[in-house]
Parts: sequence; C-alpha cells; structure tokens
Amino acid sequence: MKAWIRNLSKQQLLIYILITVAFISSIIFVNHNHEFYDRPIAKITNTVETDKAETVDQHQNQDYRVTQEITAEIQNGSNKGEMIEITNEYSGSQAVDQLFDTGDEVFVTIDESTSSGTIEDVKRDKYLILVAWIFIIILLAVGKKQGALSVISLAVNAGILSLALDIYLQNSDLSLVIICGISIVLFTVISLLLVSGFNEKTYTAIVATLLGTLSSLLIGYFALSVTGEQGLRYEEMSFLSRNPQIVFMAGLLIGSLGAVMDVAITMSSSIFELYEKNNQISLKKLKASGIDIGKDIMGTMINVLFFAYVSGSIPMLLLYFKNASPIGFTLSMNLSIELARALAGGIGIVLTIPIAIYTSIFFIRRKRART
Amino acid sequence: MNVLVLLSIILFTLMAIVGGKKGIKSFIALFLNFAIVIATVLVMNDPNANPIWLTLLACAFISAISLFYINEVNSKTMMAFLSTIVTLVILLLFIIIITDQSMIQGFGEEEREEMMAFSLNIGIDFVKVATSVIIMSTIGAIVDTAISITSPMREIHYHNPTISRKELFLAGIRIGRDILNTSTNTLFFAFFGGYMGLLMWFKDLSYSFGEIINSKVFSDEMITIFTAGMGVAIVIPIASGMTAYYLVRGKQKN
Repeated sequence: MKAWIRNLSKQQLLIYILITVAFISSIIFVNHNHEFYDRPIAKITNTVETDKAETVDQHQNQDYRVTQEITAEIQNGSNKGEMIEITNEYSGSQAVDQLFDTGDEVFVTIDESTSSGTIEDVKRDKYLILVAWIFIIILLAVGKKQGALSVISLAVNAGILSLALDIYLQNSDLSLVIICGISIVLFTVISLLLVSGFNEKTYTAIVATLLGTLSSLLIGYFALSVTGEQGLRYEEMSFLSRNPQIVFMAGLLIGSLGAVMDVAITMSSSIFELYEKNNQISLKKLKASGIDIGKDIMGTMINVLFFAYVSGSIPMLLLYFKNASPIGFTLSMNLSIELARALAGGIGIVLTIPIAIYTSIFFIRRKRART
Repeated sequence: MNVLVLLSIILFTLMAIVGGKKGIKSFIALFLNFAIVIATVLVMNDPNANPIWLTLLACAFISAISLFYINEVNSKTMMAFLSTIVTLVILLLFIIIITDQSMIQGFGEEEREEMMAFSLNIGIDFVKVATSVIIMSTIGAIVDTAISITSPMREIHYHNPTISRKELFLAGIRIGRDILNTSTNTLFFAFFGGYMGLLMWFKDLSYSFGEIINSKVFSDEMITIFTAGMGVAIVIPIASGMTAYYLVRGKQKN
C-alpha cells in the first residue's frame, strides 16, 4: 500500500483524493437530504404482519396477499419527528405493490387527524447514486483514462439529449426529426472525438456513421411507408405523451447510433492501421480485409442491440401469458416495436460496413494523391 | 406486408451480401437467440421455476450460439465463453442485492393504466424477474467485449510465444481499454433510444427532479444502464486474466 502511494504522481494522488471526497460527500448528502424534498418522507421503524391470505385469480394463478401494519417516523417538513401508522398490502409477486422492511424510506401522504399515512413511492435516490458511483469507480479502475472518457461521454450525451428534448417540447413547431438530426451530428462528433481524438480515422468514422444512419433512416422510412406500418403495435408503447410514430422513429435513430459508431470506428481504425503498416497496400486488399473484419463484428453488434431492446419486455410478456393471452397475440403486442427497432438498427450496422470501407478508401486515396 | 417481415428480409439480404456465408450464419444465430428468449419466458411461467437460474442457463446458451456457432470451438471462443459466464455470476450477485434494496421490480405507476384488465396476483416473483431482465439486456455486450479481447490475445501469443503471463494479461487489458469506450457507447445509445418516450413523458407531465429520480421506471432504467456499463468493464480483466493464465500455462505443459 505504501509503495503504491509512493509510486503515484502528485496529479494522480490529487485525482484519487478528489474522487474519494466526492464519493463520500455525495453518499452522506443523499442519505441526509430529506429537507430538500417538499413531499413528506417517512422512515419505517417497525412492521407487523397482520394478515396473510392465499389467493387464486380467474386464471388459476396461486399467489398470496399480506397485510402489514407499519410504524414510521416523519423525516422532514412541519411534521418532522412524528410517528405515523401505515397499512400496507402486498402480493407475493410484488408486481405493483411492495413488501417493506424496517429502515426503508418512503414518500408518504399524511392524514394528520388520525396520524396515519399512505405510501406514495420509495426514496430511491440513494441507491441510484450508489450504483452510479460503483459504475464510475469500476470504469476508472479498469479503463483509467479510457474509463474516464466513457463516463464523460455518457454525461455529455445525456445532457445533449435532455437539452434537445427540451428544445423540441418547447417549440412543437420544430420537427423532432430535424432536432434529432442535429443531435445525432453532435453525438457522433463528440463521442468519436472522445474515443479516438483528432485524426483521419476519426473523420472517416464520423462521415461513415452519418451516412450509415442516414441510409438506415431511409430504409426504415421506406419499409414503414411500403407496408403502411402494418404489424407495428404503437398502442402498446409505454409512456406516450406524443405522437408515437415520431417517438418511435427518433428512438430508432438514436438507439442504433451507438452501434453504428462502434462499427464505423472499428472499421476505419483497422483499415487505416493496415495502410500505415504498409503504405503500398492495394485498395483491393484493403477492401477485402475490411469485409473480413466486418463479417466478424456484424453478428455480435446486432446481438448487443437485440438484447438491449427485447429484454425490457420480459415482465410484460409474463403478465400477458399468466393472464391466459394467446402466444401470438402476446408476442405481437409486446415485441413488435422492439423487434422493429432491433431489425432497423441491424440494417444500419450492416450498411455501415461497406460505407466505412469506401469512406476509408476515399480518404486514403486523397492522402496518396497528396504525397 | 408486415413491417417486421419486410425488415427481416432486408436485413437478411444485406447480411448475406456483405457477410456471405458468415452473414447468413449470424442471421440464423439472431433467430435462435430470439427463440431462446421466448422459450425462457415461457418456462418462467411455471411458478416453481427460479427466473434467475433460468436466465443464467439461457445466457449460457446465447453465448454458446454467438461464440461456438458463428465462430467455432477453439481456445479463444472457449475463453470468451468462460469469462462471460464468470462475469455474469459476479454481476448477478450485485444485481440481486441492488434490485432487492431499490425496489425497482414490476411496473411503475405510469404503466398501471394499461394493465387494468389484468390480474396482477400471478404468483411470479417480480424481484427475480427484474434481475433477469438486467442480466439479459447486457449479455450481448458482454459476449461482444469478451471475444474482442480473447481473439487478439491469442494472436499476440501466437506471434510471440515467449511472452510472459503478466505481459499477455497487460496486453489484454490494453485492448480492453481501447474498446471500452465504444462498447459502453453502444449500450448507452441503445438504452437512450428506448427511453426517449419516457423522457418526453416526464418533461411533458412536468415531473420535478425529485419525482423523476425516485420514480420506479427511471431508477430501473438508470440502474440497467449503469449495470450494463459495469458488465462491459469487468469482463475486461476477467477475460484477460483467464486467457493469459490458460495460454501461458498450456505452453509450459508442452
């Protein structure tokens, strides 16, 4: 340990100390921030199980319902320090209800006349911060500088996305597709510059990403208009406050962007590396190696998108099946949107392979012409 | 014609043109993976089945298809497979604790409206299902990172057979660092794309910052993003370590 500390430069030591201080202070803050909330927060001090009943629903699913009497102490506001009684009911599956234990913190509404309350939500901010920190620390420990860049690029891109949505929501006359287009250019330029710096392979990857995204947009648009969007179940998209088609198209573009960027930068850096190792290499050979690399990565990249999209539907699929919905109906209701996204993203990934090869060759040709 | 059928045909044609035989194989693998996910969900319907064990089993099948069917059984795919499984188990322990504590299972208040007609007492432990969902959404990225590390490591060892175990391990870590950024980006954008609707919902209904970060759906999605990122990061030392250990020891035996 001592030797390890001695080996650090002053700058590194400073960074480690800063991270530790930020970590500890944010954890302390998030565990004592009750006064910052307007909604009353209560900390559960005692729970008693008063009733437990077996239930069987109309589809013969066996479950049980438990009633618990909870005593909790108010943590903020004018009622701070008071004790309230809460009756909570939960099912064994806990799909929308919740078993509470001593020590859990919840948002409540208080009925002062009877000093009782109702649980509205759970205070989850402390877990969110904790997981965020574990994520940051693991990324820094494994990736060092690259890990730090990943964290920065996540934060910057999330900021751009939030800002773009704000602009869209406040000026509804602007089209979301245009705002998305501008954001996509920003996302691509910033992420790829963070990944590989200012050089020709980055510029190649940026051009290839934008062309790849544009062509997958065109193909997606073509497929939707040719089929009249038959088979897409927009009504099952959750959280809709806007036109579902636009939300779907925008989500599709942004969702596949990361994978398309990944393919573009992998292709361009390998082709440029081949060129730098052997300046005389023929364009035909470069093309062939490019295709070989592309073959290797395309399957796994589409898999990444596929699982990221489809897994989220599992709880809803289970709920449908358990309520005796037919399998075909359940799948088309819950997976059509996710599958369409994954397929369209896959098309973008595959298209980007030849686009990245030709863009790299274009830049290499120009380079050769100059020398 | 159905949109999904048309998109599948376009994707298949493109994969066949660009990827040839391997492209067709990758497309079939995608199809098989889809079948595994559906089969897993169907088996999860049995109230006696443990969703977490089922998911681990499904992930083993999925990685086997992605690694052994598309490529072939050799030391690099074998090491990628083993390191994926080890990473999943480590990640799983973490996710089990965090889903239980943060209470992110099941459906948020915002989703309840569309489920009015459904019975919710269905006898399936949604806390375990939530764990399964998070694991399942990262499996693609973990396999991808694992094979991207073990494959060049074997090349390095092949071209430089006298390399020491430690040097080979460090080479693996360096390769991993180079791809860490793009792999995490791929995941982030995939999730951002899926959450666009949710973000607009929050803004349109003017949720306060406190309401957003404490809500079930938002916490669930953020925890998924962070855990996915962790998975991609911890597979790097695991894959490098296992491959270095295996390749250098194998040589000493000969």
